[in-house]
Amino acid sequence: MVDATTRFFEDLDRQGFGPLLAKSSGTLRFDLHEGAQTRHWLLQIDRGNLRVRQEDREADTVVGTSPRLFDELVTGQENAISALLRGDMTVSGDLRLLLQVERLLPGPAGSQGPRRVFRKEAS
Amino acid sequence: MAGANTVRILDGNTFIVSEDTGDIEATPSEPTGLFAIDTRFLSKWVLTVNGERLNSLSYDDLQYFEARFFLVPGMATHYVDAKLSIIRERAVCGSFRETLTILNHDEKAVDLEVRMDAGSDFADLFQVKDEILNKKGEIYSEAEPDRLRLGYRRGNFRRETIISASVPARYDRDGFAWTIHLEPNAQWDAEISVRTTAIGPGGRDLRMGLRSTERPDIQRDLEEWIARAPKVNSEHGVVASTYRRSLIDLAALRFSPISLGGQTLPAAGLPWFMTMFGRDSILTCLQVLPFAPALSKTTLRILGALQGTRFDDFRDEDPGRILHEMRYGETAAFEEQPHSPYYGSVDATPLFVVLLDEYEKWSGDVALVKELEQECRAALKWVDDYADLAGNGYIWYERRNTDTGLENQCWKDSWDSISYADGKLPPFPRATCEVQGYAYDAKMRAARLAREFWNDPAYADQLEREAAALKERFNRDWWVADGEYYALGLDPDGRPCDVLSSNIGHLLWSGIVDEGRAAKIAEHLVGPRLFSGWGVRTLAEGEVRYNPIGYHNGTIWPFDNSFIAWGLRRYGFAEEAAVIADGILDAARYFDGRLPEAFGGYHRELTKFPVEYPTACSPQAWSTGTPLLLIRTMLGLEPHEGHLSVDPRLPVGMGRIEVLDIPGRWGKVDAFARGRLDVHSLAA
Repeated sequence: MVDATTRFFEDLDRQGFGPLLAKSSGTLRFDLHEGAQTRHWLLQIDRGNLRVRQEDREADTVVGTSPRLFDELVTGQENAISALLRGDMTVSGDLRLLLQVERLLPGPAGSQGPRRVFRKEAS
Repeated sequence: MAGANTVRILDGNTFIVSEDTGDIEATPSEPTGLFAIDTRFLSKWVLTVNGERLNSLSYDDLQYFEARFFLVPGMATHYVDAKLSIIRERAVCGSFRETLTILNHDEKAVDLEVRMDAGSDFADLFQVKDEILNKKGEIYSEAEPDRLRLGYRRGNFRRETIISASVPARYDRDGFAWTIHLEPNAQWDAEISVRTTAIGPGGRDLRMGLRSTERPDIQRDLEEWIARAPKVNSEHGVVASTYRRSLIDLAALRFSPISLGGQTLPAAGLPWFMTMFGRDSILTCLQVLPFAPALSKTTLRILGALQGTRFDDFRDEDPGRILHEMRYGETAAFEEQPHSPYYGSVDATPLFVVLLDEYEKWSGDVALVKELEQECRAALKWVDDYADLAGNGYIWYERRNTDTGLENQCWKDSWDSISYADGKLPPFPRATCEVQGYAYDAKMRAARLAREFWNDPAYADQLEREAAALKERFNRDWWVADGEYYALGLDPDGRPCDVLSSNIGHLLWSGIVDEGRAAKIAEHLVGPRLFSGWGVRTLAEGEVRYNPIGYHNGTIWPFDNSFIAWGLRRYGFAEEAAVIADGILDAARYFDGRLPEAFGGYHRELTKFPVEYPTACSPQAWSTGTPLLLIRTMLGLEPHEGHLSVDPRLPVGMGRIEVLDIPGRWGKVDAFARGRLDVHSLAA
């Protein structure tokens, strides 16, 4: 059973390109801390081209959270900007990169989107 | 919100609202304090000398970021016989610094106990008007040998105020004090530094490394800002002084989001709305484009970077939607408010496209047009796919966040702003007319961008066809035949909110009005039901909900008028545009050149002066931008095939106006004009 975080990063790596990131370049490292253990995910973005590694390397943006919160972020149960304001997620370096990657995260699972009204006239 | 005798200074979204003594004692009705990142960091800041409160002789808010208070001990009496003077000088410059100076005028030496009571409730900006009883986290206060630390902790959310002084003080949990001895004619000084912090679990500030929090050259920055802008000279003294006031206020309203590394965009209003607002930032950029074009570039970039990508019902977010409001405080952090960011507006998205095109026409910045192609396409897709809630080709709104979302998602956003002629409020979803105009304009302008810069003539053709169909449909569905104007809104059954409103002026600006109907619209706008003598009322006299001091139901909004004047000129009604420009600029003289958000819709003959609507914010960005757009409109400044064309139509009383060094793709160009129009014969 693969966890949501692993699935998220593997999907990014498999897609290889993110149209929403076409103007972004840089590397982000996600440090997922649990007790003394830290799991690292390195996301390299080169004008939208994506590559994921599980490496502890220097990066333009370093993001720190708990693995549980990160799971919730990639499944739409939590919102990254609120988590950042709350201090549950920390960022050092280039915040802009994170705000771009944040746009890849899904919305809340229960969100319906716009509600169209029923049209009265017969088609 | 705060009373008239409060003093406000600010830098970015750090600001102080205090009493005229410099003291802060926040209450729900007087929400004074030191604020940063939408949080109050000081709610108490009271200076005493020998246990006595101080009395204000005078104060100076020298610049928008600094103020000086001249004080004497004791409360006000008829005759102040002070042997001591106390001067408080303060500046906001990322952090907050206050210098205390005490002068002994007596022949004898004195011993003084100088004390500052300090405390903070760490209220979220959204809570400052409420009695805060049940803060969910813990407030603490720690006195250290060299500093006082006030803090608030809720989980990992931590905000601290750290106070220290240049002269060693005794710190306790409620403040700090000095015992001083002053010889005759001697002087004592101390500088107090107050830092605000937002510390994450790693000990790093939320803002650290993201922007420089210290900007010591704020004075020079202001001077450079003014030097870079075009010069306006006028015989009519008010025009030049109003312009200068607007430029300075615009400098104060510049806001640097923490993600933007020091670049600035216009915030909505000072001090309570020092944050990004899609609608307000875009409309202000449009107003000031001939004078401060750089703001547009930043605004487009940041709004594009935060464009919606998914459905989020709490934030009313959809793919392609441009944000409404961003906030950084506790209620946004814990999702008690949706502003992280909130997307509930329907005009910001089409206006984003409008601004990009208008900006290119002035600046020739093709690179930005190419950079933002995907964002523009996504915005137009939002208009077609997600905003058309009734499936009939219009932009509608109905909030999905029914607890904390906005009911009315157009600029007239108060609860009772959209009504039928009988005064009843329509059900949801609702559509308002001016937003359909923005959509039409966005499609027409995007067609130009697609053809000229995106190398996609098929898309350009498609957009033009859609725009033409929208114009035809709109002119059929929204026209109120017996009144000969466009309805303010439609309800989901297609029934019009058939009141006469200022919104019809925006339709001229967007170009959606059929040529044959424009004269009638112009006639309404300067006619007696809408035009007060100062400006166009939000809602016409004679409507059931009309009230000269109704927020969106009868008051006059300067920004609204500036776009109406621009629209009138677009359709060739230069004289009607001049009537409105003349009225609003005349009104500005009663406010020392600083137009308020709104003023009463009373007839000019009745009150003789414009009655200010009491509002929270002054200056307001789009009121500040108003004189600049009116100058553009009166001078007929239009970018045309790479040149700036000038076609002035000024009222007689304006005399001669010159605008020097207007920047754009043409380099720098001067414009001159002389007043020749007799506006009073027209408005009579």
